[in-house]
Amino acid sequence: MSEATAKRHMGLKASRAVTNTAIHILLIVISIIWLIPFVCIVLQSFRVENSGQVGYVLPKVWGTDNYSNLFQTDFPRWYTNTFVAALITAVLQTVIVLCMSYTLSRFRFKMRQPLMRFMLILGMFPGMLTMIILYRVLKDLGMTQANATPGLILVYIASSGMGYYVSKGFFDTIPTSLDEAARIDGATRAQILYKIILPLSKPIVIYTILTAFMGPWGDYVFARYIAFGASAGKNVAVGLYDWLSKDQISNNYTMFCAGGVLVALPVTVLFMFLQKYYVEGVTGGAVKG
Amino acid sequence: MKKFLAIVLAVMMALSMMSFATAESMTYDVKIWVAEAAKELTQKQVEAFNAENNGVITFNATIEAVSESDAATQMITDVEAGGDIFCFAQDQFARLVQAGALSRLGTKATETVIANNDAGTVAAATSGDALYAYPLTADNGYFMYYDKSVIPEEDVDSLEKLIADCEKAQKYFAFEQQSSAWYLASFFFATGCVSEWTTDDEGNFISVHDTFNSPEGLIAVKGMKKLVDSPYHLSAGGADQFQQNAAILVSGTWDFAKVQEYLGDNMGVTDLPSFEVDGKEYHLGSFNGCKLMGVKPQVDEVKGAAIHKLAQYLTGAKCQMERFEALAWGPSNKEDQASEKVQANAGLAALIAQAPYSVPQGQIHGSWWDIAKVIGDDVKAAKDDAGLQAALDNYYDKIASLFKLDNNALLFVGAWNGWNNADEADTYYLKDGVVTLEVPESDYMGGRIVKPGDWGTDKGFAQVTEGKELVKDLGEENPDNNIVFAEAGNYTVTWDGTAITIKKN
Repeated sequence: MSEATAKRHMGLKASRAVTNTAIHILLIVISIIWLIPFVCIVLQSFRVENSGQVGYVLPKVWGTDNYSNLFQTDFPRWYTNTFVAALITAVLQTVIVLCMSYTLSRFRFKMRQPLMRFMLILGMFPGMLTMIILYRVLKDLGMTQANATPGLILVYIASSGMGYYVSKGFFDTIPTSLDEAARIDGATRAQILYKIILPLSKPIVIYTILTAFMGPWGDYVFARYIAFGASAGKNVAVGLYDWLSKDQISNNYTMFCAGGVLVALPVTVLFMFLQKYYVEGVTGGAVKG
Repeated sequence: MKKFLAIVLAVMMALSMMSFATAESMTYDVKIWVAEAAKELTQKQVEAFNAENNGVITFNATIEAVSESDAATQMITDVEAGGDIFCFAQDQFARLVQAGALSRLGTKATETVIANNDAGTVAAATSGDALYAYPLTADNGYFMYYDKSVIPEEDVDSLEKLIADCEKAQKYFAFEQQSSAWYLASFFFATGCVSEWTTDDEGNFISVHDTFNSPEGLIAVKGMKKLVDSPYHLSAGGADQFQQNAAILVSGTWDFAKVQEYLGDNMGVTDLPSFEVDGKEYHLGSFNGCKLMGVKPQVDEVKGAAIHKLAQYLTGAKCQMERFEALAWGPSNKEDQASEKVQANAGLAALIAQAPYSVPQGQIHGSWWDIAKVIGDDVKAAKDDAGLQAALDNYYDKIASLFKLDNNALLFVGAWNGWNNADEADTYYLKDGVVTLEVPESDYMGGRIVKPGDWGTDKGFAQVTEGKELVKDLGEENPDNNIVFAEAGNYTVTWDGTAITIKKN
């Protein structure tokens, strides 16, 4: 009997090993497929023998000319525009979203339910619908073309209050008895938010900051529309994409790749350090205690 | 008192002269959109313009890089905020006129432009009778690059030999037949087919004369089939094809520098070859297009006139020559075209060699490019001549439906168009709805007005409101609603969208 059990155990072990190997091979293949475009872009950005598109991947002559050439163009200006917009949006949007979530999670007021429903319905309209009218408004405020960055910041944060769902869900899981205890000790509502709730919800705060930063960082459609025809107002996505136009691609393609690498850099670093919180944040709000 | 008056008058005169002087020297801010490559040169040219005008007109130019292929989209986003002067490829012309983004040239400017520029480029800037833009280049056409180490020089005039050479060497013949209407039209132009579109003064398309679906069109697709059926035909463009096993590339001057870099001494540049169908040779045609420079309408008329002056300067012989020297852009100016330097450029020389077979790219409906593009795939999929004919029929139906969507676009069928009633490629579509008819005898059937394509018969006898006494009611004998004239004579028939009026002239 013991022999049979041992055999069975061996079989289990072996089959598990086979399954694991198979899964790992599959994962490796998938990650290679997934990484190929990135590797190609990085390699192309170091190719200096030819600035157009070529039929091979490995550069024949390596160098950093593409990166240094970037600084001869409007790229630093685009980068600054994007960075400023993303940073300001990240800060303001996080404050607004957290305040909104706290209010809707902890306060009970007459219009709470109707307000939440109203925002749910509003959120169902695609934001692109408002593009034309927003353009007119921003134009009258003088925030288009070369001055597009402040206009874009305004647009990005204007509707941020509606993105409260995930963090409100998270706040709902924190027991209200903590609030009550703090109230008895004399804390104000604001103090409860930043002394009790926020320290307990670090992952969700970081998740909110990250998503708020990513929106403007990768925006193309809106930024292109608001900043049309003025290089000084473009963000990186719009500026780099213009290098792919028919008349420029053969001269600027490798520089485009170098720009792409520089754009990916801060986001990659940010994610690498904050990944732990990010995953917790995404899933945290989904589980209601 | 007299003395006082004299002083006052003198002062007034002096003042008026001063104000005259300030009115004379004008300084304007102007936003100019040019291609990235031409940015610096344009800045210099504007400075030269300022210097030439001795401070009478001074422009503070802000020069932005906006791709010529994208200028219309950018302009139409917001004309008010767009560039005062902008450059664009001619295919965007009609869209820009319709959007009111181009201001018309004055009489004198029109005369100068017509006199100095290549006729094809002038046609590209004309809508109705009016000129709306300044020709900037005339190099937007295609010709053939080939690798001399693979293709023997004596074969370059025959498509069949070229295909055989490519197949033998197992190298590609890159010619965009399945992805671009611009290139596949080459075969149709070879057999004399046309697709001519007419626009009115506002840039609206009012009619088309298209003969792609015809016996000549069938010959064209037979020639095209020879190429697309070859396993070594590649429907792709770009100089880098020569790095990826191509021996022949049909492309334009924009690839010249790169091809030279890749092929070096082996680079051959020539006009397109001929193909043979039923023992007859047809030399491949091409589009010859251009880039234009437009001026946005201005609220301030004086500023508008000044900007037009600048645009005229920037597209003049001197500036075009500078652009040729710095950027190798082929000039549209006739004087520049004839110059030795331009003639010595191999790419432009090939374009000039191809020129007799090329068709000026006039105004073409924006949808045409997508409609015609599928011909290449349809031809490749076709198994026999019936299949080839079906590809052309499919194309024709789509062209006809472009005007069918317009309720005013109507086809006068019957005696009005000489009983040429078939939905043929040759049929003209009329938008203005007026026809004059010579009626030779009494009880003569004039015909009726139908929608092209579906032949709706709702516009005939029953819709006649004015002049009913001139036509005959046949009652049940006339189920088709045809208009029958009671007496001989000369008539004008007008369709205004709801009713038909008939007048005897």
